[in-house]
Amino acid sequence: MKRYFAPIFVLGAAFTKRFTRDPVALFFTFLFPLLFLFVFGSLFRNSDINFDIAIINHSQTEFAKEFVADTEKDKTFKLKSDVNNLEAAKEKMGRGEIDTVIELPKEFGTKNEKGVPHGEMIVYFDQASPQSGQTVAGVMQGILDGINKDLTKNIDPLAVKQQPLKTSSLTRFDYTFSGLLGFSILSLGIFGLANSFPADKKTGILRRLRATPLKASQLVLSTLINYAIVGLSSLVVMFIVGLTVFDFDMRGDYLSLVLFSLGGIIVMFGFGLAIGGWAKNENQSAPLSNLVAFPLMFLSGIFFPRFLMPDWLQGITGYLPLTPIIDGMRYIMTEGRTIFELGPELLTMGIWAVVIYVIAFRVFRWE
Amino acid sequence: MKKPIVTVKDLKKSYGHKQVVKGISFEVQEGEIFGILGPNGAGKTTTFETIEALRPLESGEIMLDGRNVAHEPGKVKSIIGIQLQSTAFYDKLTLTEQLKMFAGIYGTKIDSAKLLEEVELTDKASSYPEKLSGGQKQRFSIAAALVNEPRVLFLDEPTTGLDPQARRHLWDLIASIKKKGITVMLTTHYMEEAELLCDRVAVMDSGEIIALDSPKALVKQLLKRGFTKKQHVEQASLEDVFIDLTGKALRD
Repeated sequence: MKRYFAPIFVLGAAFTKRFTRDPVALFFTFLFPLLFLFVFGSLFRNSDINFDIAIINHSQTEFAKEFVADTEKDKTFKLKSDVNNLEAAKEKMGRGEIDTVIELPKEFGTKNEKGVPHGEMIVYFDQASPQSGQTVAGVMQGILDGINKDLTKNIDPLAVKQQPLKTSSLTRFDYTFSGLLGFSILSLGIFGLANSFPADKKTGILRRLRATPLKASQLVLSTLINYAIVGLSSLVVMFIVGLTVFDFDMRGDYLSLVLFSLGGIIVMFGFGLAIGGWAKNENQSAPLSNLVAFPLMFLSGIFFPRFLMPDWLQGITGYLPLTPIIDGMRYIMTEGRTIFELGPELLTMGIWAVVIYVIAFRVFRWE
Repeated sequence: MKKPIVTVKDLKKSYGHKQVVKGISFEVQEGEIFGILGPNGAGKTTTFETIEALRPLESGEIMLDGRNVAHEPGKVKSIIGIQLQSTAFYDKLTLTEQLKMFAGIYGTKIDSAKLLEEVELTDKASSYPEKLSGGQKQRFSIAAALVNEPRVLFLDEPTTGLDPQARRHLWDLIASIKKKGITVMLTTHYMEEAELLCDRVAVMDSGEIIALDSPKALVKQLLKRGFTKKQHVEQASLEDVFIDLTGKALRD
């Protein structure tokens, strides 16, 4: 046992030392996931529902101007102020940049015979997505009702009072964060790692190592040690940025998260090790890593939550290696589960780990 | 009486349809320097790599220090040292770290400073191998092949591409390794190198051993067959001039 494992740790330590001396590798390993985190984190950060709307105001009345100004202040809406004619607004709506267009006709806000401003606004929305249009129309109706009440001094005997509550619900960022961590594991483990062995085959160093009693499995495991250390550090950096910059709401315990992430790293890095160990050069490893990584990227819940998928697809994708990793991390981080409550996830991961490492040891080629 | 440490019996090796080693047999005695000479493509490197358990044995039998190479490749690898024709090392690891890494693979501890001193690389202990010159790389490569105190050291064209000073220093190094009792097997294209270093040489051509004896005996046999060479009167060669002009000290 000691004869088998001692060389693995010696090599793993040497590889890690090399890695820390390679500024380019360090830069990309730590910077790329962070870049990714900032892009997607900013996209998903805002959890308030808001609608992109445009107001086309044909009216010159004070009332209409005030109404537009008030709407601009309302947090429910994001007013696109650069759109000022109906045709342009409709075109943008067609592209999905605007949810709803509100048109205020010329006579909107002009005073009627009783001296009260009156008029009718038109809410345009895409037939294909009626929810947003109806919601905006409803909100507008509510605003107008309020104004009507003020103007007519009528008191409605019956009314609905809306009271939004801040529950312990997840923000979109909270939900997406585990996917971003999963993506980081995937990209480092497959794209980064799969090219490591082919590069070493090119220099001839693996030939030299083969001249020693070192076994392929020992070399694979020592490389895993190196990349697991690097990968875990990269996750820690991402996590700190998530907590500080994006106010991530961590509800689980850190020990569970670290242990579970390490398990995830071991499973996913097995794919990179198998691909790199088999490939004779980068021309073989690059397309194969894409072939493995892209389906995982889209089907494991990184970009699209799996609950949006049809049932049969949810069933299948549940067995992919990355799915239980992302799910498990999310359960720990957002639901506060411990690693002992993740039996099904750990079982799927364990099976994948056995399969992929048996393959990795078998297909390894020294040159 | 010396006993054989490497015994090769009827070794054959083919790549596809081309047979590159055609049933060679020879023995290497413990403690000697055994050279394999031959033009490019004669099968020298293939023969080496099969003895070193780097290539599977197709046909024949190879015993190394009483162990069957085909049955115990791992065991054999642990008692030999190998310098490959093209040397490669990990970058961004100092020479000391590389030697410790290799020692770790064998599960032994080494005095890396002493080993580097033996190959005249003490002042490069904290350098990365990518900063070494050709001759330094070859010497370091030999140091790395010695970490496990091997029974047999394999050197595949150790002096190819080196300048005369570096080559002479390598010859001294190889001679000192022999003095420690390590058996050395080497290939070379330089006849004066073989003549100077080797106790016995095998001459290979097209996958066959066509002569095997000590360099002196081989020369004697040739002369006996009536070989004459145009007499030359110079008592020195151009290499002697070169060494006289530039000195014996290492340049790298």
